[in-house]
Amino acid sequence: MDRNQITKWLKAPAKMANKYSLHAIYFCTGCGIIEVPPVITARWDAERFGVIPVATPRQANLFLITGYVSVKTLRAIIRTYEQMYEPKYTVGFGSCPINGGMYWDSYNTIKHLDKYIPIDGWIAGCMPRPEAIFIAVTHLWTLIDKEMANGYIRYRENYNSYRRNQELALGKLDWPPLFPVSDEPQGNEQ
Amino acid sequence: MNKSLTEKLESTFKDIRIAISEDSRIALTAESDNVLAVLRFLKDAGFNHLALLSAVDWIEDDCFELCFILTSYMQNDDEVTGRQSLHIILKAKIPRKEPQFKTATGIFSNAEPYEREIHELFGIKFEGHKRLIPLLLEREYEIPPFRKDFDTRKYVQEVFDKIPSVENKDK
Amino acid sequence: MVVKIIQIILSPILALVVGVFFLGLARKIMARIHWRYGPPLIQPVIDMVKLFCQKSVSHGFMFDLGLILSLAGSIVVVLFLPLGGIAPLSGSGGLLVILYIMLFAPLGMALSGGQGANPNISIGISRKLILSLGYEVPLLLVLLAVMTRYKTISIVEVVSAQQSTAWSFISFPLFLSGLSYFLIFPAILGIRPFDTASAPQEISSGPMVEYGGKYLALATIEHAFILFISIALFVNLFLGGAANPVIFFVKMLAVFVLGLYINAVFPRFRIEQAVKYLWKWPTLLAFLGLIINLAMRS
Repeated sequence: MDRNQITKWLKAPAKMANKYSLHAIYFCTGCGIIEVPPVITARWDAERFGVIPVATPRQANLFLITGYVSVKTLRAIIRTYEQMYEPKYTVGFGSCPINGGMYWDSYNTIKHLDKYIPIDGWIAGCMPRPEAIFIAVTHLWTLIDKEMANGYIRYRENYNSYRRNQELALGKLDWPPLFPVSDEPQGNEQ
Repeated sequence: MNKSLTEKLESTFKDIRIAISEDSRIALTAESDNVLAVLRFLKDAGFNHLALLSAVDWIEDDCFELCFILTSYMQNDDEVTGRQSLHIILKAKIPRKEPQFKTATGIFSNAEPYEREIHELFGIKFEGHKRLIPLLLEREYEIPPFRKDFDTRKYVQEVFDKIPSVENKDK
Repeated sequence: MVVKIIQIILSPILALVVGVFFLGLARKIMARIHWRYGPPLIQPVIDMVKLFCQKSVSHGFMFDLGLILSLAGSIVVVLFLPLGGIAPLSGSGGLLVILYIMLFAPLGMALSGGQGANPNISIGISRKLILSLGYEVPLLLVLLAVMTRYKTISIVEVVSAQQSTAWSFISFPLFLSGLSYFLIFPAILGIRPFDTASAPQEISSGPMVEYGGKYLALATIEHAFILFISIALFVNLFLGGAANPVIFFVKMLAVFVLGLYINAVFPRFRIEQAVKYLWKWPTLLAFLGLIINLAMRS
């Protein structure tokens, strides 16, 4: 952890500040949220690293998508993700956002979350231990250093495809597009 | 207590079959026309808590079976304490083609969300229900998902796997 | 003249530094009370650097203006408070001006919250203003008692009177007022048990629910100033002020740490419980203090 190296702060303050002040939105997406309260309270203290939970997406930096994502939850996740301010990072937590996990043949959950919102990193496990959250945070620091944690930039660039996928999964979306969408014919109509 | 209840039931309703297991659980099987009358009778006899309303899909027998589980809330009366650990499960079969049933919300008003759930997941219509809109699901399915002839793997392959990935590199 | 200008520029900067230090200290001490380590002491600075680097979206002109208004009000109040030997605008009104301008903070936030279209903001603002109504009554009685006892409305004269005799907090007729001020002190700071205005679990941080990016950074700075003002007022009026800034900040630290211990232990009051409490014993004590002061004066 290079939080106390002053020269790095003077050279790139935005990068260092984004690393050491990750405010996670406390949106309990699925069953994996049960591993988060021990992380943010006295057992494994995450506030040492600058990670605290906040109550509103406007103040948040980091979105931890814990557990399986049903179709109804995907709607809420997309709305929350679009309200966060850039730069923002998402981490898929558990094996269900990766490839469906335990619910791989369910009629109501989505199987690959990165078809709908961009994900910067995954944590495998069902559920991952709280120590895995810390490993994820340190990996995220490395990615931010190398400027590879650019999920929000990919969202802006490929917004057409993401929005088309979201409409395929959710039907009609009742919020306007976040970035201007070009009119092109959709493939794969239901 | 059990004896008097079973005698009353047998005397009031015909076509009712009673099975008592050892730990004070009574299983009643009734015809689908009688079910509401039996529910009203049991509620008046003190079983005022509808704990669960669920359905089973017997695809080989070509019928659905609705199951009502009733218990009684604890009362301070001494002579009814014997009833506290008594569960009654009431089963009724309905045909599988265009299934429908009368609603139990007139007797137990907390049957409303259970009936909504059964309607969206099994496709059983409940006449007289005021608000039969979906409770949990968001999409429309041709075959209701909890029926045994709904192929989940095929549905996932057709709907979710066909959505294209946005970036070609895998993580 | 030049000294005065330097003091006018230096005093809000000093207040900001001390306020931000108190914010970091609060998180550290709360963490240690919870038996865990905490963030480093400069964590609020790291948060603010990150927040200034975020791209935020404005909800309109009033949204920006309200926040700047409340921040401006707090900076002006700092100019009227003596911090140890530094007292820029000391001769102009003192306590009455402070009592008036201290209300700019919640009113500014209410103004900005009117344009953020979120019902949580309205609930938070209504709670904050009702809480202000709750603590303004005993606060006014306390300040009237202090003004009656020392026969002045200038805080600098109050401080110098205390330094020649004794602290107000331990002198007889003002002891009741000091106790009353200490009882309403958490309500002025907005810490538990009175942090119902910005309850994260209930109303998603109340008025700050739509603040992100630079707005949240300004709101944090505002919070630092409010912290500073309330504690400095208490130290000046009841704990004797100080002759130089260092002892002044030591006294402020002691009061702040005591407030943090209260914050760590208590749950949160509902708003009607809070107002019922604030209008009962603290008001009674302040009223008694005022009556006794008036009786002893004549």
